[in-house]
Amino acid sequence: MARSLIGPRIRDRRRALGLTQASLAARVEISASYLNLIEANKRNIGGALLQRIAAELGLAVEEVDGAAERRLLADLVEVAAERPLADLGLDARSANDLAGRHAPWAHALVRLNRARLDREQAVSALSDRLSHDPFLGEAVHRLLTQAAAIRSSIEILETVEDLPTERRRRFVDIVAEESRGLAQLAQSLAAFFDAGHGARAVTPVEEVDDFLFDHDNHFPELEAAGQGLRAQAKLASGVEQGLIAYLARAHGIDAASFAIPASTSAETRRFLLAREAAERFERGRHLDAILAQARQLSSEAARARARRVLAGYLAAAALWPYDEFLAAASEARYDIEELAVRFGASFEQVCHRLATLRRPGAGGIPFALLRVDAAGFVTKRLPLADLPLPRHGSACPLWAVYAAFQSPGTLVRQLVEFPGGERHFFIARTVDKARAAYPLPRRTLSLMLACDALHADRTVYARGLDVSSGVPGVPVGPNCRLCSRRECAHRQEDPIIGA
Amino acid sequence: MKETRPAIRVLLVEDERHIVESLTFVLEREGFVVEAVLDGEAAMQRLRARLPDVMLLDVMLPRMNGLEVLKQVRSDAALHALPVVVLTAKGRQHDRRMAEEIGADAFMTKPFANSEVVEAVRRVVAAARAG
Repeated sequence: MARSLIGPRIRDRRRALGLTQASLAARVEISASYLNLIEANKRNIGGALLQRIAAELGLAVEEVDGAAERRLLADLVEVAAERPLADLGLDARSANDLAGRHAPWAHALVRLNRARLDREQAVSALSDRLSHDPFLGEAVHRLLTQAAAIRSSIEILETVEDLPTERRRRFVDIVAEESRGLAQLAQSLAAFFDAGHGARAVTPVEEVDDFLFDHDNHFPELEAAGQGLRAQAKLASGVEQGLIAYLARAHGIDAASFAIPASTSAETRRFLLAREAAERFERGRHLDAILAQARQLSSEAARARARRVLAGYLAAAALWPYDEFLAAASEARYDIEELAVRFGASFEQVCHRLATLRRPGAGGIPFALLRVDAAGFVTKRLPLADLPLPRHGSACPLWAVYAAFQSPGTLVRQLVEFPGGERHFFIARTVDKARAAYPLPRRTLSLMLACDALHADRTVYARGLDVSSGVPGVPVGPNCRLCSRRECAHRQEDPIIGA
Repeated sequence: MKETRPAIRVLLVEDERHIVESLTFVLEREGFVVEAVLDGEAAMQRLRARLPDVMLLDVMLPRMNGLEVLKQVRSDAALHALPVVVLTAKGRQHDRRMAEEIGADAFMTKPFANSEVVEAVRRVVAAARAG
């Protein structure tokens, strides 16, 4: 579904402008026959060439490559897979029509569905809270104990007729005292239920997801600011010392006050320090300028989360400068472990940085990133328009991100093919988060980078693997409910969407 | 007539002082001899010093909770036959199930009626005496 739109879009626009293939080809400095292949969708284009073509056609890149529309389509397909709509037999083709003809209605549908999911999550969080909240448990117990004391004393006052005056006064006092306690407790319970349940349209996590996606997970302003922070903190001559000195010099902060645990790895410690510095760098004006433009972030919680993510981005830009990192990645053929050693970064930090190398015209391989926990839940996602990653629940069990748990610490590669014929290349490995003190369980997560199979041979991981288009990939799907492979042995539930 | 037998001795284990006061008053009026302690450890000490006829035992206690006290009582050869009425708060089904498993003779749910407590104490003592 993905690239099939680019060629016709270019052709339609070119014709509308009255340009011949030859003249457009000349302007963007390619041969007319190559442009012909592009328009017929027989060549994949991106990066600088796509930019030049878009510019010549007077369009934004997103309009040409249809990223926004594909994303809307993916969102609609997700809506169609929701249980309450299962019996309507919605199919992907009609989603295409809806997105194409009535985009605002399609957006409304997606937004409503997210709001519904958000409410569902709030309800289940509240019911969890009611049954497990320690404050509530304690409060209810106190309430019943006080009620028992009051009831017992009142019964004595009511039923014992020959109660001596002094005793009578004592039990009246008990009732009065316990009643006051009960009133206070009732007030604190009321306050508990009032606190922090404001209305939210979607979850903060989803809002931040959308925000990152809309920026293609790339922030040129922060790349530039990162250079500034790098210079000011003198990171080139010693990262940790540079950051500690910078925080003290520019912000009067003792890095010890962050109380980073001694067991934290050197890579993580450096990153945490860099993020603290990034949050404060030039009073956070670079972060705030981006947030001021972010219409996706409706709640305070989402803005706070986005600010944290942007500070992390700025930290990465300072620690691992774009051009240097891109050149090294390209030279090392995206060997993550080699890059980790070279830049003193962790496996996850390298993956994350690779997924941000999207400068128009000077980008690396466009990678999606997915991180899941051992229960399969998605804990981090940076999708690509061509590869929608599950927002809720889990993905297809065949994905390498899950297989990686079978051989912890070992890199797993996988060439996959989706039901619609899209082919992607997956690279996954487990990472241990923080050292666990025995006998606490280790916190192991699995991390996966994913790119279009066309880019696979630019990576070291395709070595010895035939990634040419004729070779079948592992047949996978997005997840069971969205997958049309009815015969799949790994199926857990029926597909909801028509094939 | 009631007085032909020695008075029934009750150990009341409850950390809420006002409940201790009212239950002590009610039980003494009914002819029981009541001794009260405020936590689980004190309860075990009292039991080992002198065995009462029945124990009224709250679950949520400081130092050692009521379930632990009950468990120790049931696994101690000298104490295991002691009739025990457990006081739980309404809604704490887990406590109640645990107490049942460990071997409580009766339950009282807070907030309870005084007469119910008196009735339960009489009942478990009578059952124990009947063998």
